[in-house]
Amino acid sequence: MVLADSESAVILRLRGPLDLKCQLDRIDEVPMQKAISRTFEALRLQVKSESCVLAVCNSPVLIWPNKSVFEEITPDAPFEDIFQFIQTDDQETSGKKSTKKKNRKGVSASIINLSLMMEATKPGPASAPILTRTVQKSHLLCATLPMDCAVWSNGSDTIKDGCERLMKALTRQLFEMEKVTLQCMKGTTLRVPEPLHFLLPEPNGLVTVVFPRGVPDKELEAQRRELHGQFELPDNRPFFRRANAYHFPNEPYKDGYLRNPHTVLTHPTLDNGKVYLVQGIYSYHHYMQDRMDDNGWGCAYRSLQTICSWFQQQGYVERGVPSHKEIQQALVEVGDKQVSFVGSRQWIGSIEVQAVLNHLLGVTSKIMFVSQGSELASKGRELANHFMTEGTPVMIGGGVLAHTILGVAWSETTGEIRYLILDPHYTGAEDLQVITEKGWCGWKGPDFWDQTAYYNLCLPQRPRVI
Amino acid sequence: MGRSYIVEDDVEGYLSKLCSQLAGPVTGLLIGQSTVQRDFVVMTTRTPQNDESADGGKSVDKEWVSEHARQVSRMLPGGLSVLGVFIISESDAKDTLTTLRQLVFSVENLISSERLWTPADDDVTDCVTLHVNPKTRKTVCRTFDVKDPKSVAKPADWKYQSGVCSSWTTVSCCLSVDLMVPLPENMAFTRNMDDCLKEELKVWAQQIERGVCLIDGKKLPEDSELKAGQKKNVRQTISAQLLITPDVQTAADVVQRCGGCVSVRGAIHSRAFLHSNKPKAKLAEKLLKRDIVSTVATRVQMLLEEPQKQNEENKGRKQTEQSCLPRRVFCPVKSTGPLSVCDYQFSDEGLSEMTDRFKEMLDMDAAEEDLDATREIIAEVIESEATEEEEPAEENEMLDPWRNNYIGVAMATAVALLALAASIVYLSDV
Repeated sequence: MVLADSESAVILRLRGPLDLKCQLDRIDEVPMQKAISRTFEALRLQVKSESCVLAVCNSPVLIWPNKSVFEEITPDAPFEDIFQFIQTDDQETSGKKSTKKKNRKGVSASIINLSLMMEATKPGPASAPILTRTVQKSHLLCATLPMDCAVWSNGSDTIKDGCERLMKALTRQLFEMEKVTLQCMKGTTLRVPEPLHFLLPEPNGLVTVVFPRGVPDKELEAQRRELHGQFELPDNRPFFRRANAYHFPNEPYKDGYLRNPHTVLTHPTLDNGKVYLVQGIYSYHHYMQDRMDDNGWGCAYRSLQTICSWFQQQGYVERGVPSHKEIQQALVEVGDKQVSFVGSRQWIGSIEVQAVLNHLLGVTSKIMFVSQGSELASKGRELANHFMTEGTPVMIGGGVLAHTILGVAWSETTGEIRYLILDPHYTGAEDLQVITEKGWCGWKGPDFWDQTAYYNLCLPQRPRVI
Repeated sequence: MGRSYIVEDDVEGYLSKLCSQLAGPVTGLLIGQSTVQRDFVVMTTRTPQNDESADGGKSVDKEWVSEHARQVSRMLPGGLSVLGVFIISESDAKDTLTTLRQLVFSVENLISSERLWTPADDDVTDCVTLHVNPKTRKTVCRTFDVKDPKSVAKPADWKYQSGVCSSWTTVSCCLSVDLMVPLPENMAFTRNMDDCLKEELKVWAQQIERGVCLIDGKKLPEDSELKAGQKKNVRQTISAQLLITPDVQTAADVVQRCGGCVSVRGAIHSRAFLHSNKPKAKLAEKLLKRDIVSTVATRVQMLLEEPQKQNEENKGRKQTEQSCLPRRVFCPVKSTGPLSVCDYQFSDEGLSEMTDRFKEMLDMDAAEEDLDATREIIAEVIESEATEEEEPAEENEMLDPWRNNYIGVAMATAVALLALAASIVYLSDV
């Protein structure tokens, strides 16, 4: 699926539940598979029928795609027109503002959400209902399929074309769901097939994959390997773990942490210089969060939390970000600290960060040592390489402070260097504007470091797995 | 400020007739629509004679009146309901009021116990009582709030007017029903099926209530008025559509053991009435959805109330039985005007049985020609006996319920024509 490149790219997302219900007279494998296939076939007919309705969320627009009935809009109008009808919370009901969201880079990430519904009414006369009762020891299959299709559309595509593509995607998804259901069937245990969207690098773009719900990532490696082959992706980094699923622009994270605050910054331009940044998504952890008052002593812990959040959100680990206590407990368990360490307000350094990453996450890290801060200016090549090959956030500790380095801007010819710093000493609220304007996340020069103190850097290594 | 009931003129005549005809107290039901803005009474019906009553009908039998109300309530399409009770009696006003109070609470309790839809906050909970003295023809109208067990009688206005039955807007639709519910493994055949079905109907009722209602193809904002209500005395009918999404199943086990299953499949015609004076879209939607739920629940209930054939214990063989739910037949309240009442016709009944029931329950003199039986078709059903568990060619859904009389006739005609054609060919073959 090609990523639409134009300014007016729109994601059309169709979601809705479909009932998967059938009586299973026999639970031997073959008859059960046949019964399930028949039920899926009935569902495919249902979505091709005239009772299938697409409702644009938060708007009066309704579309019957299989009988070309369009309410409030005309089929040949461009899909962009639908934005006029959508009402968001912060909009007067009579306003006709566009709900496009643009980020700083100018690429629109507009999304139109549609709901899948079925029309229960039909032209009369009605054939009065029949009650059928079957008495037989059997089984009943009863599940809800969480249909979720997303297609990229050029904003100037007609509504009719966009709907056709959505409906094709819907039918294809039912086929894939049938395949996954039958593949993962063991006796009478069935897994509900669940679609997930992944944003792959060009030229693949947004891709939807159906996985069996409840099966952990580690049992799905074979499927992921096949997908990596199919989309010609490198086999040393994950693209299809559940944590890698695409986060749609209109779905805010519910845990309250800021994600990637550095993306709103303007990056420095150096003569012959390039910018090397952390790859992927991390959360900003800092003083005073989680009702933990660690002001003055917790900076390295927070930097470690930011690093752990990166590994979780890239799908390398399933465990959540550890608390201060859990970090301290881990150090006791590896024999690095005494039991009395737990609950204390003692600082940790990059060696401890390395140990915890290894013990709790199974992640190895390289340690880089500089005897004085002024030497950091010469580490441009190493840091640039790190961000290119590993792309993980770096914890740096020295003097009396710890920070997180998210990237470097470095010129090979002039040697000029800047560091993108995420500062864990911030004590305020999750206000992106304050954090970026006041420099809590910002680009710093070589004079940011204490020129005479020594520093240790912990550079976490990305596991070579999918 | 008490309620004010606007009553169809004919009701006055009916009550007068009852005054002069009968001795002893006469009770009956008042039928109409009560909304926050207005209260209308469109018809009344006396309680039928109870042949088995101990004292030959001299005293008021609360259970009998309530049972009558329950059955009448099933015959009222959306928007119409039993609003209250009347009594024609010479007794003291105070005693009568007590009797009326008991009747009204009993009626309301029985009717609401069958309801599957949840009452809304803006529903009117006042019920009306009318006491007519046959000698003086004096009428006393009071209301009680049936939500409050301690409520006292409040005075209300009772005004006769002509044409109350004419200015109504009809909202209707034809809706598919498709329910499937598993039966538990250990079954007492009929009883468990009743409970399972009722539970499933409750879930289905919520699905209907959540559904998106379209009027003339559009989803109207809640406070908007229906355009059809503008013209007076012109029959206004609006067709509605309903869009639904299934419930999300959250059971951990997707495949469950069961002792069989019950399904209800087909379609129903649903109808609701709103008074034409500024009819609101929100009210139309509420009344139509309630009618949809009621008509299906009533029919299932009626089928379950039919005497069941005793089935032998299931010896591991698959037993399938199909029964037709009765179809809905409408009868106009007055020869002109849009209002109608309805009843349900089983496949073994004729239209004459319908007219008998309209007479008995609603004291309506309807002729067979007046009845509208075109909205629903009774499907034919195949009587099947217990079958051996052979390798089925297809699942039991393949039984074809959609044959109807017309196809039967067409087939017969086609066969006849073929025979004729064959004979012509034969005869002309030299």
